[in-house]
Amino acid sequence: MRTLQLRAALLALMVGGGTFAAQPLTPEQLSIEPLPSKSPHWVFVIDEAFFNEIDARVRLFDGDSYRHLGQIDAGFSPGVIQSPDGSTTAVATTYFARGGHGARTDVVEFTDNATLAVAGEIVLPPKRAQIPPTYFNLAYSTDSRFMYVAYITPAASFGVLDPAAKTVLAEIDTAGCVLVIPAGPNRVSSLCDNGKLLTVALDSQGHEASRSLSDAMFDPDADPVFIQGVPSTRGYTFLSFLGQVHEVDFSGAQPSLLQPWSLVTDSERGHWRPGGSQPLAINRVLGRLYVAMHRGGEGSHKEGGTEIWVFDRSTHKRMARWPMAPSRLGAVTAVQVSQDDAPLLFAAGDHGAVGVFDALTGRLRHVDKDLGQTPWLFLNP
Amino acid sequence: MHPLDRLFEKSSRSLAQRTSRRSFVAQLGQALTGSILLPLLPIDRASRAAAANADPDAAAPPQHASIASGARNSAHDDPQNCEYWKYCAIDGFLCSCCGGSSHSCPPGTAMSPITWIGTCHNPGDSRDYIVSYNDCCGKTSCGNCACNRNEREKPLYRLSRNNDVNWCMANSDSNYHCSVSVILGLAEQ
Repeated sequence: MRTLQLRAALLALMVGGGTFAAQPLTPEQLSIEPLPSKSPHWVFVIDEAFFNEIDARVRLFDGDSYRHLGQIDAGFSPGVIQSPDGSTTAVATTYFARGGHGARTDVVEFTDNATLAVAGEIVLPPKRAQIPPTYFNLAYSTDSRFMYVAYITPAASFGVLDPAAKTVLAEIDTAGCVLVIPAGPNRVSSLCDNGKLLTVALDSQGHEASRSLSDAMFDPDADPVFIQGVPSTRGYTFLSFLGQVHEVDFSGAQPSLLQPWSLVTDSERGHWRPGGSQPLAINRVLGRLYVAMHRGGEGSHKEGGTEIWVFDRSTHKRMARWPMAPSRLGAVTAVQVSQDDAPLLFAAGDHGAVGVFDALTGRLRHVDKDLGQTPWLFLNP
Repeated sequence: MHPLDRLFEKSSRSLAQRTSRRSFVAQLGQALTGSILLPLLPIDRASRAAAANADPDAAAPPQHASIASGARNSAHDDPQNCEYWKYCAIDGFLCSCCGGSSHSCPPGTAMSPITWIGTCHNPGDSRDYIVSYNDCCGKTSCGNCACNRNEREKPLYRLSRNNDVNWCMANSDSNYHCSVSVILGLAEQ
């Protein structure tokens, strides 16, 4: 019996060994992997790399294949935005001449989304707002004629850029109002510390043509809004610390403030709150809001959600509450949803893992633990 | 003139030239006044007395755990712990874990001349104190003792109450290293 076993083993070795000997691996050709065709289920993950903050990066991730498709370097405390046509990722960032120290260079770098190669830059005055990423650190006009970059020195202003000519056109003083919320081909709104919106209209050269202040959008003392506004159908939607939804229509010459509505019932108010670095995502196709919610009090506005609440934008009704505990992501600090009718929900936990959920059912499809140390913002392609 | 005073004067003059935000200049004035008062405050004296035995607030190896001490028997009393009472609205790396202390920057860094202001309750003497949160600048992220607390913290449009912006922004070398919390005075005054 033992002899039979030995013969069988020897035969298997000969067959296997013979196969390797007969067909050696062919030489490989070093090449650059092309990006696959763009998918609505891609997401750009902005990793602030907070623990070594000069080395932020943007990772491109496919929510269907769960593959890491590539990376864009993002320097120190970057702002990141997509061009209106989706062809370009713009990164406003800072580099220091000697890595961790030395002369500061502020710059907007453009990356071709078809290749992920850097395709030009605009050097800025050293005034760029060094803040966590939002949709409004830098922005494009709707026709891509202009770009705007938020400056804080701490005096607040913004730069107007020409992305085609790669030049700085102007600087506009915003009298203490911050960030660049783009509207139309030539308007920029900023959030003011009295709860109003300052809107500056530009002339054809990118210089100020006029300015105006809105009515108070929110009460910054009683219930401030998160600066992380999210694109909605005709403008942007902001959440307040206590869960009020402030929708702003930016399609007209002046921002139009819609009637606020609440994510929470009277009994939930002050106990359940939105929180995190990107607490809100909106699917504009289906008209659904996804909000990272937690139990907490004053000062908990950066705490991640233990649940994600889903709302219908037109009826304001809560459609679902999805507890995050089963996903083992920890508290969810950032959410994003794809813009299609079979959407994926991306959720970053407070330890850096990213979950991919079916945004219609809340079913967890995948968890990726390698999308960065501090993924603070997701952008759709 | 004391070198520190010269630094603050230079910084505040420079700031005044570059900004129209009067509130910042006013707060800088508060900070200057508070810095002068610092040695007189009771909590600071208590801290120095405790240092005679074991000083966890002095330069020490970076670590997250509290350092055992008869004078500091809870997280609220430990400057290397995020729950230390002075850190009620701090966001960043604790300088006390990076070679500095709760109110001093690590060697070789530079102090941010501009700051954000908060009010924290000290359970040790049941008083509220106004504190300034300064960043220490000019080296890359310390990376130790990350701490994010946000009592009465406000978004960016209320800049003097915001802990997200890089307060090293106005330094000649604006890289962020770590954060401190400096007592300016009693809030009741």
